[in-house]
Amino acid sequence: MAFIIPIDSARTQFPDYEFVAALTPSAQKSAFHVRRDGKDFCLKIIAPNQALDRVQREVLAMQALDHPNIVKVLEYEYSAKAGTARHYMVEEFVAGDDLSAHMTPGQGWEIAKIAAVFAPLCDGLVALETNKIVHRDLKPSNVRMRPSGVPVIIDFGLARLLDMASLTATIDGATIGTPAYFSPEQFKGTKRDIDHRTDLYALGVLIYQAAVGRHPSFQSALKTMDELSDAVCTSESYVNDAAFKALDPKLQLIVRRLLEKERAKRPASAAIVAKVLREMGGA
Amino acid sequence: MRRGAWHQCGHNSQKLVGELMQAGLGVGAIISPKDLALENAKEYSTEYRALGKGVLFDPQFYEPEFLAGKLGTYPTSAFRQSIGALGALQPSAISALTKALETENRELGCEAVIAPAITYEAARPDIVALNARLFDAAKAAGDAIGVPTYATVVLGNSTTTSDVAHSILSNATALNADGWYYACEFDAQERLPTDVEAVYRYGSAGLTLACTGKPVLHACAGPLANISYGAGARGVGLGIWQNLWGFNRARFQPATGQGGGGDAPPRYFSVPLWGTIVHPDETLQLSAAQQAQVMQHSPYSQGLGIGVSWPTWESRKHQVHMIATATEPLAQMVNARQAMTAAVAALRSANALHTAIRNTGIQLRDNTDTYQSPWAAAGTRMLAQNTDDYAWLELSGGP
Repeated sequence: MAFIIPIDSARTQFPDYEFVAALTPSAQKSAFHVRRDGKDFCLKIIAPNQALDRVQREVLAMQALDHPNIVKVLEYEYSAKAGTARHYMVEEFVAGDDLSAHMTPGQGWEIAKIAAVFAPLCDGLVALETNKIVHRDLKPSNVRMRPSGVPVIIDFGLARLLDMASLTATIDGATIGTPAYFSPEQFKGTKRDIDHRTDLYALGVLIYQAAVGRHPSFQSALKTMDELSDAVCTSESYVNDAAFKALDPKLQLIVRRLLEKERAKRPASAAIVAKVLREMGGA
Repeated sequence: MRRGAWHQCGHNSQKLVGELMQAGLGVGAIISPKDLALENAKEYSTEYRALGKGVLFDPQFYEPEFLAGKLGTYPTSAFRQSIGALGALQPSAISALTKALETENRELGCEAVIAPAITYEAARPDIVALNARLFDAAKAAGDAIGVPTYATVVLGNSTTTSDVAHSILSNATALNADGWYYACEFDAQERLPTDVEAVYRYGSAGLTLACTGKPVLHACAGPLANISYGAGARGVGLGIWQNLWGFNRARFQPATGQGGGGDAPPRYFSVPLWGTIVHPDETLQLSAAQQAQVMQHSPYSQGLGIGVSWPTWESRKHQVHMIATATEPLAQMVNARQAMTAAVAALRSANALHTAIRNTGIQLRDNTDTYQSPWAAAGTRMLAQNTDDYAWLELSGGP
């Protein structure tokens, strides 16, 4: 169930902002495009959660980040006054569209475009790694593409609020957010198994989608979480996809390493992926 | 990490190590606190470093309550306690551990800090968490000194499946290590492992660590050094004692009083056999042609003839010399795949030579002919099945 706050109610709670439009809500937040002092922001009102201390620690780390491929977190507050709690964060508003708008089913990108988009995305992931932040919910809708073509990772940290134990809804029509980009350890592991290589797995899915034009594991025939879990955790049938096999062998190797079931076998860092992509893209 | 053979110090081996390094053999030494008090270790370290060699210190936290030998002379001895007690250490105690590690490594002039770790049953969640804390303490020490920090990773004897190995590796590689101090424990009943599956697992694990882009030092490699470089290692630990051929937890448990080998005849390490042969008892049985083939000499075996007494210490120096010099070309090869290809070829030759000797009715002692074929098979399997690992290693510029 999405956490929806009517825009009028939000206006009342945050009179300092001019509300431009409501953005897509999720289970964790209600988001709005807002303006203040002539600048655009993304205001996210956070749903009540039990992981407050973790969110606060991570947001503090996120606020320290200043990287061209990571959305800037400008404000964060949790307060309670007269029985009313306010829990929100303000990020820069990234004009442009999502990565998903650039992906066409059945059509793969040229290597130059893959390098131009995903090498900088890797740079952003390196910044997260260095600061010990794991996004956990990297997917096309969480990568904004500026009009200049620069990718920006958005909306991280909040995904931890998702109650993993409640992932029993069917994929079709699920309103808790799709796990189509979850790594094997997100399906079956404990929290301690999740580290920056979890984001690298999602990166592998994104690169595969961009290069091949479809998801490596998520097929329309899959109807339940268990079926998706099996596809992610055990199947490697994607390597037999004709379009995948037609890719540059180096790109195939990068994708295979990123999509390794075991974290130890994935690249140790997005930095090496960025380096190889740039070399392939002629940078 | 220096590329090549590191002397794995053990009982009474420090002078011998110095002599071998004086002769140009090896790139450094790994101090064993169990066998050498801190004050003496400082003296030897100074000597080794004056030769231009590197020094590392293995804190040997494997059985953390073990405090025998000279371990008590080191600052970290204050932290040798039960796993449960270690797990309950408060942050202030962890800071004190950092200080102790910094003191030891700084005083010994170590060029990297090897992190303490509880290596047996390393897949247990409580031990994973404890090892992460121990690593953080070591990393802080390394950062304070300004040297890299290597995480200790051991595939224990209980790692009987690839799933368990992967779990250990996934947890270990989550650490922000600058390199890996890696070893494997095999069946204590064997001098050297003969199970193809086990050797494949050890080799694949080493390759996985190398694919992180961080250097791997295969500790206590012994004759396994032959395939270590093919498994992605940059350095191998070579010791004179056979209980340093592989990671043996018995070294860190109270002695049973059972020893042996006092009057045993010396073993001659033969590169063509890639194993030992008893001299002169067994070498005498070989034909002249076989002797010439088997006995490739070192400076410590020159003039070795029948009837000439060969001091055991000379046989030990010969062994380390031969393993180090025979594997040096493998260390310098362009990539791990090439090194493994060469290693497999050498092992197949060794196996053929053993077969030829058996065919003349001679059965050599010490099961010295039992592991060459399994190791060749494991190496062959790695070349066939770990192609992505080798390709990734080459693509990412390792090892």
